[in-house]
Amino acid sequence: MRSLLNFLAKYNNLIIFLILEGIAVYLLATGNTYHNSRFVNGIRGVTRGVEEKINNTRTYLSLREINDGIAGQNIALKNRMESLVRKENPLFFSFTDTIYKQQYVHTSSEVINNSVNRQKNFFTIDKGRLQGIQVDMAVISDNSIAGVIVGCSENYSVAMSLLNLDFKLSVRLKTNGAFGSLSWDGRNYRQAILSEIPQHIIVNEGDTIETTGYSAIFPEGIMVGTVSDFEKTGGDFYKITILLKNEFRKLHYVDVIGNMKKTEETELEKLFK
Amino acid sequence: MINSILRFGLIFILLILSQVLLFSNIQFSGYINPYVYVMFILLLPIEIPSWLLLILSFAIGLIMDFFSGSPGMHSSASLLAGFVRPYVLRSVSPRDGYEPNSDPSMITYGFRWFLMYTLLIVLVHHTALFYLEVFRFTDFFRTMLRVLLSSFFTIVFIVLIEFYRRGK
Repeated sequence: MRSLLNFLAKYNNLIIFLILEGIAVYLLATGNTYHNSRFVNGIRGVTRGVEEKINNTRTYLSLREINDGIAGQNIALKNRMESLVRKENPLFFSFTDTIYKQQYVHTSSEVINNSVNRQKNFFTIDKGRLQGIQVDMAVISDNSIAGVIVGCSENYSVAMSLLNLDFKLSVRLKTNGAFGSLSWDGRNYRQAILSEIPQHIIVNEGDTIETTGYSAIFPEGIMVGTVSDFEKTGGDFYKITILLKNEFRKLHYVDVIGNMKKTEETELEKLFK
Repeated sequence: MINSILRFGLIFILLILSQVLLFSNIQFSGYINPYVYVMFILLLPIEIPSWLLLILSFAIGLIMDFFSGSPGMHSSASLLAGFVRPYVLRSVSPRDGYEPNSDPSMITYGFRWFLMYTLLIVLVHHTALFYLEVFRFTDFFRTMLRVLLSSFFTIVFIVLIEFYRRGK
């Protein structure tokens, strides 16, 4: 017993260090996982007040840019509406059509905390479960992919940013429909890497990259960015550098998109797995 | 005793606030992220019992974790910094040892001593932090570049703050 006490007294620093480091590593191992929202829901409530104040100031300082963005979106929407109204044929599509169902539901929301300088970036938005946000909904900003919701509390949600090493997105070249997988390499917050495009496909600088809609999370045909550089690596695939359309440092207002037919699709796909 | 608790409590709050409101918002190309809050671990008195040093460094890391939403990252890095601090103090000790009841400050031990002391602890902290953040060894040298650049800026900020403290 005495030698045990002596041992404890001699190495008490090391023991405290190991215990606390154990706690930290436990938090690190369990708290950072893809869909774990415990940390998000629980403790972050304490810091949210401060985050909102910081964000208020930041938004105020960039009101001009936000207005420009909204005006641009408005024009785009008006143009789109114009083309829809003309094309619409009352024989095939009417408002009383009972077979047609809305597939995507949009919710507008404000980003209250964001980062681009880490390797695994997340951002927080000010809508939560009570406003109909759920895990695995798509987040887009300025008609371009921003991230995916990974955790919700009553009134807030946390989204994994596209600028996260764990983020994968199925995209295609708009010109010829060749599809591959987009991910961020952690280097530049303006660029991402598109891989798995075979080398017989013709790629040009400036080609548009858009989503494929294979994932049941993101709607089809949302622009992600343009090809800024491509090289042939040793294998059979290109390594294509994409200039992202979104300026992630200036993320203020985002649309959260929920797919209302997602459960139907995933249930069906589960049957054949 | 009460006086120094108040003093370090104030330093604790000021450093956290300046980190969250100011330094965490420096987002320069992903390479330069100064974490100036480490200065709290540097400033604690030399004769602080080491269990208290460990608990305080863990606490400031945990609070930073709450703000940055990265559970465990800052706490383990700053705990490591608190753990190595006695060894660093021993290895950079001036020729006639430390004076009793003194703070490890630039006024008492001079600029060169303070720079060396800051450099070692900031390097330990930032190395642990950035490698824990990436949590893989691909791009090893790029992470090292991030460590070195961020450490440089952290050290510059800490030395500037220390000069300002001396001026007062």
